[in-house]
Amino acid sequence: MFTDEVLDSVGIESQWRKSQQLTRESRGCQTRALHSTDAEVQTVSTAVSSTQTEPQDHVTEQLLQHEEPEPPGLRDFLRQVEDRVIKELVKNARSHAFDGYQVNWEDQSQLVSCRHRLQHPSAQERSLHVTSVSWSCTGSVIACAYGRIDEGDWGTEKSHVCTWNLDRRGLNPKQPDLVIDVPTTVTALSFHPNQPSLIAGGLYTGEVVVWDTSHTQDPVMAQTGMSADSHREPVYQVDWVPLQKRGEFGVLSASSGGRVLLWTLDPDQGGFVLSAGYALVRQQVPHSSRSNYKARGSSHVGVTALALSPWDSDIFLVGSEGGLLLKCSFSSQTLAAAPSEGQSVTLRAPAVFSFRPRNSPIHSIHCSPFHRNLFLSVGTDGLAHLHSLLQTNPLLSVRVSDSYVFDVRWSPTRPLVFAAATGQGVVQIFDLGRRSLRPAATIDQGGANQAATCLAFNSQNPHLLAVGKTDGTVNIWHLSADLTEQSPRETVQLELMAREVAE
Amino acid sequence: MASEVEETLKRIEGQRGVVGTVVCNADGIPIRSSLDGVATAQYARLLRKLTVMAKSAVRDIDPQNDLTFLRLRSQKCEIMVGLENEFLVIVIQNLHQ
Repeated sequence: MFTDEVLDSVGIESQWRKSQQLTRESRGCQTRALHSTDAEVQTVSTAVSSTQTEPQDHVTEQLLQHEEPEPPGLRDFLRQVEDRVIKELVKNARSHAFDGYQVNWEDQSQLVSCRHRLQHPSAQERSLHVTSVSWSCTGSVIACAYGRIDEGDWGTEKSHVCTWNLDRRGLNPKQPDLVIDVPTTVTALSFHPNQPSLIAGGLYTGEVVVWDTSHTQDPVMAQTGMSADSHREPVYQVDWVPLQKRGEFGVLSASSGGRVLLWTLDPDQGGFVLSAGYALVRQQVPHSSRSNYKARGSSHVGVTALALSPWDSDIFLVGSEGGLLLKCSFSSQTLAAAPSEGQSVTLRAPAVFSFRPRNSPIHSIHCSPFHRNLFLSVGTDGLAHLHSLLQTNPLLSVRVSDSYVFDVRWSPTRPLVFAAATGQGVVQIFDLGRRSLRPAATIDQGGANQAATCLAFNSQNPHLLAVGKTDGTVNIWHLSADLTEQSPRETVQLELMAREVAE
Repeated sequence: MASEVEETLKRIEGQRGVVGTVVCNADGIPIRSSLDGVATAQYARLLRKLTVMAKSAVRDIDPQNDLTFLRLRSQKCEIMVGLENEFLVIVIQNLHQ
């Protein structure tokens, strides 16, 4: 059935392979022979030398002169031009052509306008007054303290310290950026001169507090508390004082108990350390020979106004409830005749010199930033007195208003201009360079029964003036150019004024 | 020789109110100066530019005319530039005594 069969194999030849082979060729190339030779080089002689720069003379005129003896033509040039130049110099020195010529290329604003009206609604509901305003060192944040100034007894009202950042775009005048609740009335406020987040405040209970606005949880950074060291009466003024160590500041607080205390911050314990204390006692006040002031009443001098001198770090000025105006020194060594109440630091009597006393409490003193001897003081008699530190009697007396004057500040840009806040709610700005003593400008917001209690110039942006009133609003005014731009003769005029001897 | 130049410059500097003097050559390079190096270079460079422009302004208006003196008055001082033979002398005078 099945048999084996053997078949032949079949082969199929490739056709394309053969054709490839047909087209293949071999080629070769070869470069021509390269010629190469060897050569050697060897230095025969060597020499060593070095260069060095010499310390340069910083007197370049000498260098210039040593460069070349003299360029040709210089002598002839100077000979020809000298007469002409000298003639012009002499003519210019004698010329009056430009006397009083002032030109200002910037846009001038002629008006005083209100930029913002800042309010805190809850303070307004409780009719709190603004007791103090302060600008931060950067000039963009304004802080104000609320409280009541017309209560005679212990103010147990809670109050606030509010800050607004005016440079922020979403500024809401009715809502402060930061509200710090304080258990009692805040009577004094001051921003740190270098650190924009620290504010020092004085309370009605006599405590001194420093708030750190960068800590929103617990802004209280340091507090004096009710210890034997602290004040017992309301603190009417706080100020940052530069201490011996550069860059450090202490807080100086003055209260109506007659004490002026210098506190330093203790970062470890988070509290204050009393570093120096001064007590003002009636018997130790130096009496000037011409004063007919009779000592009466209690023996301590209630301090209502304090001013530091920006020129002399040893001097500070004190104004009292009784109208005394005293020049005091930080370094005074006389011991105070006040009874010691267990303070950690012995109290000293700082008063060195007494100016002519006034008949009314002094509310504010401010030293001139342009002249080392001048300062202004205002009180409830409606007058602003310009004093020199060297004389007892005032140099000038300006009638600001018929009612109380609560605050006075020199302008930071014009040596002769100052602003005063009156009890009628009007801020009067005076220019001492004018002949008449009527105010140069009057800022009247309206609301005649609202007293203007405090004001502050913005040192970074000198056009801005903040005014706090008893209706709980802080108004930011933009001053016109003629109130803020200095004219060339002002410092000279101020100097002349200071040198006058009062009759 | 050199002292004559110095004497002349001293006479100029001795005038009332003169704060400083700079002499520079045609290319604005200061040759003699009584100010420090930085101020000298600044004055020479800036006033050279200004003088060239002022000179060309004068000559464009009247080609027979030429600039002899330039005075700049500013709030704080007056700068005077005297020209001759491609040299410049710059004198700064303070006005408020």
